[in-house]
Formats: sequence, structure tokens, C-alpha cells
Amino acid sequence: MTSSSAPSRKALSKIACNRLQKELVEWQVNPPAGFKHKVTDNLQRWIIEVAGAAGTLYANESYQLQVDFPEHYPMEAPQVIFLPPAPLHPHIYSNGHICLDILYDSWSPAMTVSSICISILSMLSSSTVKQRPADNDRYVKNCRNGRSPKETRWWFHDDKV
Amino acid sequence: MGNKLSRRRQVVDEKYTRPQGLYQHRDVDHKKLKKLILDSKLAPCYPGDEECAFDLEECPICFLFYPSLNRSRCCMKGICTECFLQMKPPHSTRPTQCPFCKTSNYAVEYRGMRSKEEKGLEQVEEQLVIEAKIRKRQQELQEEEERMQRRQEMGSSSRNMASADIEYQGVSGDEIVSSQDSCAMPTIRQSSRSRQNRDDEFDLDLEDIMVMEAIWLSIQDTDAQRYPIHVAAATTEQFVTEDRYVSPAMVPLAEASSPSSGLACALASLAEHQHMDGDPSTNDVGNSGAFSMPTASGRSSSGGERVADTCPSGSWIDISPNSGRAMSRGEGEWGIDHGSEVAEAGTSYASSDATVDAGGGGSSLQDGMDDRFQPSMTGTIMPESFEEQMMLAMAVSLAEARARTSAQGVTWY
Repeated sequence: MTSSSAPSRKALSKIACNRLQKELVEWQVNPPAGFKHKVTDNLQRWIIEVAGAAGTLYANESYQLQVDFPEHYPMEAPQVIFLPPAPLHPHIYSNGHICLDILYDSWSPAMTVSSICISILSMLSSSTVKQRPADNDRYVKNCRNGRSPKETRWWFHDDKV
Repeated sequence: MGNKLSRRRQVVDEKYTRPQGLYQHRDVDHKKLKKLILDSKLAPCYPGDEECAFDLEECPICFLFYPSLNRSRCCMKGICTECFLQMKPPHSTRPTQCPFCKTSNYAVEYRGMRSKEEKGLEQVEEQLVIEAKIRKRQQELQEEEERMQRRQEMGSSSRNMASADIEYQGVSGDEIVSSQDSCAMPTIRQSSRSRQNRDDEFDLDLEDIMVMEAIWLSIQDTDAQRYPIHVAAATTEQFVTEDRYVSPAMVPLAEASSPSSGLACALASLAEHQHMDGDPSTNDVGNSGAFSMPTASGRSSSGGERVADTCPSGSWIDISPNSGRAMSRGEGEWGIDHGSEVAEAGTSYASSDATVDAGGGGSSLQDGMDDRFQPSMTGTIMPESFEEQMMLAMAVSLAEARARTSAQGVTWY
């Protein structure tokens, strides 16, 4: 909800802008399999369509990722959330927040939107149950003020899904 | 090494001894930076170039092009000086991690401009040429492939299911989880990709062949001429057994390429060589290789481990956070250390293996596939030792990839 409204963020730095333009060009030439970038004129927010991989619980389903880039991308991680309805997954909260280390603590400026997408798809694909995280309700309630998932202190415990 | 570098004091224009304003640097010690640059311990802060030129290298962080880059000590990845200065979080007390391979205590060294780098760059260029060629061929092949798939829908779908079961079991097994260690993602990634592609039947994805070639080249770079056949055998294992195990190397390398089964690429290259060689015995190899796939899947774990042993460890880890760019970049770096060896190996290969037609023959590939692929998919022949045949076929492929490399090398000099 709040996360999908326009955030009051600073404009991209020159270097962020340059890098994102190049990432976009690279994406157009060579998009990660299963992903579609929705064309907009907003370089700072990408909306990306994810197709659930065939043979997984999410086959024939389609979801939307919203990627917001901070001023100092790629030194800072982008904010990545699922737009509603978020897929049912043990690491994806109903407000679209994703518990995935590379989006937070383990972010590296050597990563790209494309590599994030692939990580998210693999997270989806390796799921064995379609269910919300155990603490979903509590977490979502805490985020009601529109808190960014980047402000959450995540605890990454599961390296299997 | 350190001595050698510090002896060579660089002549650097004063203005390139300080940041060019790529970032708003927080507390940079300008004196220290200047000294490091003049002592050739860091690359000069040349302004990054937006466009790629022949003798420029792209910094994988800011995506700008520079005459030379610093190298990670851990994984040899390049980084420009200004991005490097950004790597240490200002208030963090933890040791800085390498942005590429996550090794802690990230440090870089500067090896100067050109000379060796040049060779690396040439390899990158070569790789790009190969990629482009393969991409072109892929289009041609895809049409043929679609026709082929329609004809054999029945037979292949059942086989796909069999291999799918095994694969799934593997993903949740303990053994794999423990072997993932620090790079859990790439492994999982591949499983999703192969799974995703399961319904594509036998997708003859030439980008996979491209990846395979890239892996070969990198193996050659690091391993030089030692045991070429052995390496080929390992590669065979890798592709025939299970996609999943290939993943640490495959995925970062291919990243953006669409996934498909290792079988597909083995088949494709086999078909290619069958056709090029025109040798009836090689045709048998193709048939058997294809048919034995489900059997091979069952042995996946041992095969995968063997591959891990033969391959240079660096290639598994350090490319993981990177996109498709990693491939050419990685090639380039390996090339730096082994450039001369590679060239040598290349020529010896090209001349010694007379059966390989290095000149290509990709265009006539379709005819060959049309005839020979069908029996291979639906065939009833069960070979006695398909591994041996695959090894042979892969060795031939390897030689061909090698021949191609050396042939192109000439044009670059």
C-alpha cells in the first residue's frame, strides 16, 4: 500500500543513473528468463513481471516486483517488494516484503537487478509449501506505517528455501 | 611481487591522483591516495568512459570504462579506484568484504596498464565474438528444434519426468545443502532454472553451448594443456549428469541466458560434430548419449563432485554476484595469468586434431540434426559404455572450441 505509493526519496545520483541505464540496456538485450520489465519512463522504479517457473508451485502464476533505487545505488541496495497479491511463500510477507539476505545485509554493489531477479525466482522455485511466514501477521502489523523492508532487522535463518 | 610494484613509480598526471567526483567521497585521505597511485598500488583515477573501446576495461560496479583497473586479491575481479574507495562502509567496524566473492578483508592490487591486461582483453573480445556467432546460430537452430519437438512430443515427455524426480530429490537432500556452503544461492538458482525449463522438452539452447564453451576456455586457461582429455571427460560428466551441479559455474556465467538441460547442450554439440566429421562411428555416440540421459541422472552426485574437483575453485565462487558480464570479465582475468600458455595450447590442439573442422559448418548443421536427432531421442539402442563415447565426443568438441579460439587469436594480433 504505502510502499507502492511514490516515496519521498532523493533523485538518483549521476553514477546511479548511468549504471541503471546500462543495466536496462543489458536487460533489453539479455533479459533474465521468466522476467519482463514493464516499460516506464521512471528509471528509479522498475516494475518487473515474474512468471513462476514451470514445474514449481508457482507455475503458470505471475507476480509483480517493484524495485526502487536509492540515490546511491549500487552502493546501497534497492528496495524490492512484491506488489499485491504477493506470492504465498514462507519468506514472503503478505505486504510484499521479501526476506532475502541479498536485498539487505548481503547486498553487494556487484549485484544487478538481473541477478536479484534470478535469486528471487530461485527462492520461489525451491519452495515446497505455499504458506506465509509464521510471523506474518505480527510483521505486517508493524509495517503499517509504511516502513520499508530495508528498515527491518531481518534474521536470515533458512538457507534451503 | 610487492617489491616489483613499488619499484615502478608511475608517471601520473597530478589531477588523476585524486577522485574525479564519481562519488561524493566521505573522508578520503587524499595524501594517502595520491601516494598509493604514484606508487602503482592503485590505478590512477582516470575519468571513466561511458563507451567501450578496445583497450578499456569495464568496472563491474560503476559500469564505466577505464584504461586499467585494480584487482581483488581474493578473486582477481577488477574495480576502479573510485568504486574501491566506496567499498568500506563508513561506520562499520567489520572487515570489508570483497563485493564479488565475499571474502573478508577485501584488498586490491594494481598490476599496471596493458601488457598482460591486453591479452586478457583480447580473450574477452574473442569470447564476445564466439558468443555472437553462437547467438546467430541459435536462431537458426531454434526453428529446427521446434519442428523436431513437435515430432517427438510423446517419447520425450515421459523421459523428462523421470529425470525431474531425481532432480527434485537432490535439491532437498542434505548432501547438496552442505556442499553449497557459502554460496547457497547459485545452487538453488540452477535448480529452479532447470525446473523451469523442464517443460521445454529437449531445448537445444545454444546459449548453453556457449556457456559450455566458456567453461572449457576457462578450464583451459587455468589448467593449460595439462590433461586435456581428462578435463573433457569431467565436462562431459558435468553436462550429462545433472544441471544442478553445473550451476555454480553455469549460472553466474550464463545468468541471463535461458536455462535448459545439460543434455540439450551435449546433444547439440554432438550433433554438430557428427555432422562436421561425417563419421558414422561418431553418430553412434550421439544416439547413445541422448538415450542414456535418464540413467546418467541417477549418478548425479558423484559426477558433480568430480567436476568440482577438476575445475578451478575460483571459477565457482567469485562470479556468483555478477551478471552475464562476469563471463567475459572472468575469462579476461584468467587469460592474464595464462595467456601465453593458452595460445600455445590452442595451436597445438588445432594442428594435432585433424578430424576437427575448425572452420565452422554451423550453417549446414540443421540438415544433420534433422536426420540424426530423431533416432537419438526416440531410439531404442542401448550402448555398452556411453560414458566413453561421450568423452570422445566432448574431447572433439573441446578441440573444436580450442581450434576456434586459436584461429581467432590470429586475427587479433
